Amino acid sequence: MSHISLRWLPALVVPAVVVCAVVAVPLQAGAAVDLPDKTPQQVLLLVNDSTASAFAGTVAQSSDLGLPSVDLSAGMSNVAPGQASSGEGSAGALSTVLELLSGSHEFRVYVGGETQSRVQVKDRMAERDVIHNGSDVWLYDSNSNAATHLTLPADLAATAEAKFAELQSQLPADLSTPAQLAERFLGELDPSTAVSVGTDARVAGRSVYQLVLTPKVTDTLVASVSIAVDSETGLPLQVTVLAQGQSAPAFQVGFTAIDFAAPNAALFNFVPPAGATVNEQVMPDLSDDTAGDHAADHSAAAGEAPVVTGTGWSAIIEVPATAVPAKLGDNPLIDQLTTAVDGGRALTTSLLTVFLASDGRVFAGAVPLAQLQTAAE
Amino acid sequence: MSSSDVPPPENDVNPTHRGVGWDLLGSEIMVLFRRRRTWAMLVALALIPILLAVAVRLSSSTLDPGEGPPFLDRVSQNGLFVGFTAMVVAIPLFLPLTIGVVAGDTIAGEAGLGTLRYLLVAPAGRVRLLLVKYTGAALFCLVASLTLTVSGALIGAALFPVGPVTLLSGDTVSVTESLLRSLLVAAYVTVSLLGLSMIGLFISTLTDVPVGAMAATIVVSVVAQILDIIPQLSWLHPWLFSHYWLGFADLLRQPLDLGSFGQNAVVQVCYAAVFGSLAYSRFVTKDILS
Repeated sequence: MSHISLRWLPALVVPAVVVCAVVAVPLQAGAAVDLPDKTPQQVLLLVNDSTASAFAGTVAQSSDLGLPSVDLSAGMSNVAPGQASSGEGSAGALSTVLELLSGSHEFRVYVGGETQSRVQVKDRMAERDVIHNGSDVWLYDSNSNAATHLTLPADLAATAEAKFAELQSQLPADLSTPAQLAERFLGELDPSTAVSVGTDARVAGRSVYQLVLTPKVTDTLVASVSIAVDSETGLPLQVTVLAQGQSAPAFQVGFTAIDFAAPNAALFNFVPPAGATVNEQVMPDLSDDTAGDHAADHSAAAGEAPVVTGTGWSAIIEVPATAVPAKLGDNPLIDQLTTAVDGGRALTTSLLTVFLASDGRVFAGAVPLAQLQTAAE
Repeated sequence: MSSSDVPPPENDVNPTHRGVGWDLLGSEIMVLFRRRRTWAMLVALALIPILLAVAVRLSSSTLDPGEGPPFLDRVSQNGLFVGFTAMVVAIPLFLPLTIGVVAGDTIAGEAGLGTLRYLLVAPAGRVRLLLVKYTGAALFCLVASLTLTVSGALIGAALFPVGPVTLLSGDTVSVTESLLRSLLVAAYVTVSLLGLSMIGLFISTLTDVPVGAMAATIVVSVVAQILDIIPQLSWLHPWLFSHYWLGFADLLRQPLDLGSFGQNAVVQVCYAAVFGSLAYSRFVTKDILS
């Protein structure tokens, strides 16, 4: 009898070992890390001095926003690839953004310096790519086999630098060093937010400092925002947003693997594949000669500009009825996403609330719905 | 010691000694691949890409991008996509079906025919017999996925133009590299089926009725795939043996992403270990009456 039961031993031991390994390996990856203590200011400086300019990594994004599950094809069905008119295009863009915000996604990110980067969204049996190389930006969608080419104005970087320099010259003199800038930034945050350095952790196999921003006000849906900063390179590796009354992160995006070697340069030379539909698009020029036109546009729309009430975490954005596209109400997505509430329709998630008042105004904020309804009155 | 070394007979006092395993394996493989049933299943698998390619060839309407099964719209431009489409189509049902038949038959088939006790009369040992049967089933997984790949490539090349292949990332690779990637996909699919093969072997030790073991193995694979689409069980999904079955898409990205190959292999090894030990314990304690 005993040797019979002995022969059943492997049937118990092997599954037990496998289960232990399955449980223990992730625990080991999250083993305690102890880094030299740093103040929030020092961590900000670490980010500012970040030396990582070229890297390749895998990014995982997950969200648990409590968004109602929607049939995303409803908003996209009328958008034939490559021939979307602007109205339909915005509906398509809306569903793309919603799709990226809900559920979980995996990306591969390649950065080869300031002017070269590539992001791959890994879909099931498909992929979407964004490739930036110098003045060329390519978007490729394997599902529709369509590529979009944007040419950035050659002086875009120069213009941006000039504007940045201009801004910097307007800043008070005491902000000339990063250290002062970090101090000023923390000072600005101080009334609304408690900034601290959380327990050291491990992200993508690297030890990180966790910069934790906690709202001091209570009337916001955000419980805390933590940013994991690589202790060696200063590169932010993960952002986690926690919502009030929810233990799972409402939104999290971060590296699951990262390699600080420069990726193969051939990755950034994108040539649209034979047979793909190619759309050429030109970026609006940002240089000064067109700035006048933009200013004119803005003045015409001045009455329609969104109004922000409140400050910090409990700020509410109000979009006047005239600025809301008339087509918005017709989009089947809106009906699916929102629920009828007192005085209009509302979309409530664990982080963000949007209230569509019945008079056409739209209110949004990281606050409970009741506050948006109060603001609408 | 290399296992091909044949020990001198005078040392062969232990009845479960190595040495005869290779003969047993050879005869097992011969029996498996001489069976008309095995050939029928391989021909059925080979017909999948042929049917797909002929249907696309004869149809006058062209598919819009993204319509139909993955890659089907590309087939008319490049015949090398036939194999990939066939693989996507075959993985959920056809391949598990054939694996279920082969793995479910391993022990129960011999028991049903009354040949199991003769196999164990020879100084082979029950452990050796299990290993040989499992190796045979695993070899069938490899042959089945290669059949799909090869017949897909041949029919694609026969009916459609063949040229550089566009990967999911939009990059284009040469015909040679795309064939290498096809072989890698076949390897991925083979590995994907190893866990199910071991489950089939275990179920096969439970019964003397081969049809029952085959059906149960196929049911297990269907149940795993149903569990995989229930969102409430998302914590379980990474540990289902069928979860990474369609993950070979990662082999069609540029640069090559071997991440899911590794994860898939780990899951399959876990299943093979757990069900292998169960099959061992069941089989060595079993009363062999037939």
